[in-house]
Amino acid sequence: MLQQIIAIIIIIFFIIKLNNQKRKKEISRNEFLLWLSFWLLALLAIIFIKQIDSLVHILGFSGSGINFLIYLAVMALFYLVFRLRLNIAKLDKNLTEVVRIVTINNKK
Amino acid sequence: MKIVCVIPAYNEEKNITKVVSDVLPYVGEAIVIDDHSHDKTSPLATAAGATVLRHIINRGQGASLQTGNEYALKNGADIIVHFDADDQFLAKEIPDMVKPIIEGRADIVFGSRFLGKETNFPFSKKYIIMPLAQLFSRTFLGVKLSDPQNGFRAMSRKAAENITIDNRQMAHASEIQVKAFKQKLKIAEVPITVIYHHFGQKLSGGFIVIRDLLISKIIK
Repeated sequence: MLQQIIAIIIIIFFIIKLNNQKRKKEISRNEFLLWLSFWLLALLAIIFIKQIDSLVHILGFSGSGINFLIYLAVMALFYLVFRLRLNIAKLDKNLTEVVRIVTINNKK
Repeated sequence: MKIVCVIPAYNEEKNITKVVSDVLPYVGEAIVIDDHSHDKTSPLATAAGATVLRHIINRGQGASLQTGNEYALKNGADIIVHFDADDQFLAKEIPDMVKPIIEGRADIVFGSRFLGKETNFPFSKKYIIMPLAQLFSRTFLGVKLSDPQNGFRAMSRKAAENITIDNRQMAHASEIQVKAFKQKLKIAEVPITVIYHHFGQKLSGGFIVIRDLLISKIIK
């Protein structure tokens, strides 16, 4: 119970921080909604951790609900890293194109 | 017929004067792409008689070659020869490389170290790295050439217009071969000599090439 309260306090702290960033216009509306949904899902998962425990058992996984959430989080992180890598590669390609245009124009 | 030699160079002040001087008797123009060197590559190449283009930041050999191709095409090149700046190729072999294009037998010509001419290969390069690269190239890329990683090549105008080099680092060598096969260009191989002054690409470099090829498959 104490762990759940601590986790909820941490999540609320991040939601407040997120809201401040939105108010200062440091992040876009879409990004705000994306992260807000993420933290709200995390909040729901913490509140209903017992139900997730039983769901995990029904699905046939060994281990508790919190372990299952950690597996999901690791998978999500892998996916985000992959997406980031692709975005960086795209930016890199565009940067090369800009350098090429500048180089050729400078020679004219 | 205007033959242009594109020479990508990065910190090559030791070799660039000799390379440009060696190449110029065989081509109409030598274009050195200085990939943001920190030494005197640009002024030395200019003094030696080359047209010099300088990248404002370092982008890699593949990017330099594409810059050179685009500039050469804009300036009316009929044949583009790619030549390394580290003095490992022989300029006197340029006529052999462009001959199949001039005679209409090929759109693109790849130099090969495995067709009879002597090359002072480092041992591991000859017996481990190259056979592995060859196997990978044939099996996964469908490239049936004797030399999978060679920087000495000649392209007709048509080939240079149709092949855009997207890999800015070392994977461009495989990429050009793959695109030549996919576009069903007329391909020829010519024996060339390579004089190794240093080891060049290591086995780890081969893995980077594979990684870059995979990424370029995903990114459009």
